[in-house]
Amino acid sequence: MSYPTQRFICTHCGYIYDPANGDPMNEILPGVAFEDLPEEWVCPICYVARENFDPLD
Amino acid sequence: MKPALASLYQAVDLRQEIPPLLIGERMNTNGSKRFRDRLLVDDFQGCVEIGLEQERRGAHILDLCVAYAGRDEKADMLEMVQSLRGTVKLPLLIDSTTPDVIEAALRIYPGRCMVNSINLEDGGKAIRRVCTLLKKYGASTVALTIGPKGMAMTAADKVTIARQIHDIAVGEFGLRPQDILFDALTFTIGAGDESLRDAAIQTLDGIRGIKAALPGVGCVLGLSNISFGLAPASRKVLNSVFLHEAVLAGLDAAIVDPGNILPLARIGSSERELCLDLLYNRQKDPLRTPLMLFIDHFHRLAGGEVKSAEKAEEEHRPADQALTARIVEGSKEGLEDLLAILLRRMPAVEIINRILIPAMRHVGELFGKGELLLPFVLQSAEAMKRSVALLEPHMPLVKEGHATRILLATVQGDVHDIGKNLVDIILTNNGYQVFNLGIKVPAETIIQQAIEKKVHVIGLSGLLVKSALVMKESMQQYREAGLGIPILLGGAALTKKFVATECGPAYDAPVVYCSDAFAGLQAVRDSEAGKLKGTTFDMAAPVASKPGVKTVDLDRSNPVPVPPFIGYTHVHDIPLSVLYPYVNTQALFRGRWGYRRAKLSLEDYNKLIADKVQPLYERLVRESASEGWLKPRAAYGYFRCFSRNNELIVRDENREYLFGFPRQGEAPNLCIADYFKTEAEGGDLVGFFVVTMGGEIAEKTRLLYETSQYHDYLMIHAFGVELTDALAEYWHAVMRRELGIAGKEPTETSGFVTQDYQGSRYGFGYPSCPDMEAHKPVFKLLHPEAVGLELTENMQMTPEFSTSALIAHHPQAKYFAV
Repeated sequence: MSYPTQRFICTHCGYIYDPANGDPMNEILPGVAFEDLPEEWVCPICYVARENFDPLD
Repeated sequence: MKPALASLYQAVDLRQEIPPLLIGERMNTNGSKRFRDRLLVDDFQGCVEIGLEQERRGAHILDLCVAYAGRDEKADMLEMVQSLRGTVKLPLLIDSTTPDVIEAALRIYPGRCMVNSINLEDGGKAIRRVCTLLKKYGASTVALTIGPKGMAMTAADKVTIARQIHDIAVGEFGLRPQDILFDALTFTIGAGDESLRDAAIQTLDGIRGIKAALPGVGCVLGLSNISFGLAPASRKVLNSVFLHEAVLAGLDAAIVDPGNILPLARIGSSERELCLDLLYNRQKDPLRTPLMLFIDHFHRLAGGEVKSAEKAEEEHRPADQALTARIVEGSKEGLEDLLAILLRRMPAVEIINRILIPAMRHVGELFGKGELLLPFVLQSAEAMKRSVALLEPHMPLVKEGHATRILLATVQGDVHDIGKNLVDIILTNNGYQVFNLGIKVPAETIIQQAIEKKVHVIGLSGLLVKSALVMKESMQQYREAGLGIPILLGGAALTKKFVATECGPAYDAPVVYCSDAFAGLQAVRDSEAGKLKGTTFDMAAPVASKPGVKTVDLDRSNPVPVPPFIGYTHVHDIPLSVLYPYVNTQALFRGRWGYRRAKLSLEDYNKLIADKVQPLYERLVRESASEGWLKPRAAYGYFRCFSRNNELIVRDENREYLFGFPRQGEAPNLCIADYFKTEAEGGDLVGFFVVTMGGEIAEKTRLLYETSQYHDYLMIHAFGVELTDALAEYWHAVMRRELGIAGKEPTETSGFVTQDYQGSRYGFGYPSCPDMEAHKPVFKLLHPEAVGLELTENMQMTPEFSTSALIAHHPQAKYFAV
C-alpha cells in the first residue's frame, strides 16, 4: 500500500492539489490521489475542470 | 527609442522579439564564391538575386561586402546599393574597411543602415573617421573586438577592447550604446588547435562580460567561424547549437546563412551533447578529445546508412514530405520553393487537401497526445497560413463552396477573444470556412448570421461566469429559431457537467463541451461524419454527500481598519519592477502559454522551462520595460459603508451607492455582504480599485493577430493578462498595508493563490459578485477615466488589460462560489 504523493497544479490559477492535504473546500479527505477525484471535481480556487491540471512533481 | 534599422520599405528592430537578428552573410566576395563570380562579370542583377534569396530564407538584414583585389570597391558598392535599395526589402549592413566606401554607401542609402565595422586595430584613427560618418548619417555599427595587438582571444581582452571602443563611440561621439553591436569574435574549435580548445567558452564569456560591463549595447557574432575546418553537414549542427548557447549568453544578432541554421528541436540529443562537449571543452573520454568524438560521429553518419539530417531533408526527401515536415515543425523556411515544385505536379487544392490538411491533423494529434505544446502548434498554424496564402493565387475563384462552415462568437457581455481566436486559427488552418463574429455578440445576431451564412456548426466562447449563464439562457432562443445545428461551447467558466445538465437539455441538436481548440476541431469532424453527440454527464456517482449542514460563524467584533484617506485617488507612476514578484509564472507558463508538462518527465519539463520558457519570459520583462508597452496605473479608494441583508450600501460624500450580491443556495449560505457590519453594528469600511496596463499592449497584440503572428500574439497577450493580474495582486497588497492589516503576508506565489493574507478581493463578473453593472457605481466612486479607462455599454472596461475589485478586510473573507 503506497500513499499517493503526486501533486497537480491548476494551470489556470496555480492552486496545488496535494493528496496529503486533500481538498477540504470540496470535502475531499487527505489520501485521495488526483486520479481518484470525482469527475465533477473542480479547482477550489478558480473552479476550472480537472482537465486544466498538470502534474507538478 | 528602441534601436532599429530601416530600408525604403520597412523598419527592422535590432533587438528581435525572438533573438537573434539574422544577418544574411552571402553577399560577400570573401565568403561566397557564387556572389564573387557574379560580381567579377558585372552581373549585378545576379548579385541582387542572392540578396532576395536570403530575404526569402528569413534573414532580417543583409550584409554587403564587395571588396575584391583588382576591382573598384567604391564603384561596386554604389552599384550594388543602388540595385538593392529598390528591390530588397531588408535594410543593409555596409561591410567595408575603407571609410570612403562606407561614406559613399551611407550617402545614397535611403533609410537607416548599419556599418560593418569599427575596431581599434590601428590604435584609433579609422574608428574616429567612421564614427564621424555614423553620427552624420545616423547609422548604427558593428564593432569588432580587435585592438592594436590584434584580435582579442580571451574574454577579458574582448571586454577591455569593447570598453575602449565604447569610450570613443559613445563617450567622444555621442552614439547611442544600443546602436552598437559588439562582435566578441569567435575562432574555430574544429581544427584541433590546442590553444583554441576553449575558444567557444572565451567567446560566450566575452558576450556575457560585454553585456554586463556596457549597459545597453548589443552583441553580434560571425557564427560559422566556430566550425571552420569541419565537414559541412556537421558544421551546420555545431553552428546551430553554438548559436543557441550564444543567445542564452546574451547574443542579439548573428551573421549567418539563415538557411543553414537548424532549429534545436531537429538536432538529436546525442548530437547536441557532442556539440556541447566540444563547445565547452568537456573531455569525457580519457583517450579521445571531444573534437575526435565529434568528427567520428559525423564521419560515420556520412559514410553509413544513416544520412545526415541535412542531406536527407534537402536533397532526398520528396517535396511533399518536406512540406509536411515544414508544417509539423512550424517552419516557414523555403515554403515558396517547395510549393512551386508541388504546383507542377498537382493543383493547389490537391496540395491543401492531400498534404497540408493531413499535416495539420497530425499536429492536432500530437497536441492531443501531449507531445506538442500550444506555442508550437501556433507556429505550425503560421506555416499553414503562409502556405495557403501562397497557394491562393493558384486556386479557382469559387473555392470549396461545399466546405463546412462554422460560426464563432464570444457571447454577449464578454470581451475576451483569445480563446475564440485560437479556435479560429485551428479551424481555418484545417480547411474550414470560419465566420468569426467577434466579441459581445448578442444571440439575435448569432441566429441571423447562422441562417444567412448557412453555417453547419456554431461555436460559442466566453471567459466570464456570466457568459456561462448567457450561454445557458440563450439555448431556448436557439431552439425557437429552429437552428437545428450543433452548438459547441468553450471557456474557462464552463464544465462538462454544466454543459450537459444546464445547456444541452434546452436545445434540440447536440450541445458539446470543448475543453480546447482541438476538442472543437474534433467535434466539427464528428459532425461532418454524422456522429457528433451532445456532451453527457454521468450523475450516477454523486460526491460523498455533504455531512450535515455546515455553518460558518462570522466574527462581528473584528475591528474596522483606519484608512489613510476617505474617497478616491489616482496613481500614474507604478514601476513595472514591483509587479514581477507577484506574477504567477506557473499559471502563465502552463496555463496561458500552454507549456504544460503533460507527458514530459520532470527533468525534460524543467529543461524546457529553463531553455525556452524562462528566457522568453525574461525577454518580455525586459522589452515591456524598455519599449514601454506596459503602463501600470491605478484608481482606488476607501469608503464608509454598511451591509443590509444581501446588499452593501456605500457612502461617498452625500451620495449612496448600492451593491447587491448573491447568497449561496446551500450551507454555509455565504454572501459578500456578510463580511461587512450593519448600520446597527456601527458601519464598516470598503475598498475598491481599478487597475490597468494601458492601451499600448492592446494595440500591440491586435496588430500581431492581424498579421497572423499567432505565436507572438498568444505569448504577448498572455503576458499582458498575467501582468494585469499581478498588478491587481500587488495593488491589493498595497491597500492591505495602508489599512494596517498586512501583518501576515505570503512569501510565495502559492500563498497568494490560496489567500494566505487578511481579507479578500472580489472581481466583478466572478461567482460571488457576478453583476457587471456594479462597474457603474465603481466608476462613479473612483473616476478611473483619469487613468485611461472607459466602460463599454456592456459594462466591461477598456482597454482589455484592466481589472477591478472590491476589497473586504474581514479576517474570514475568502473566495467562495455561489
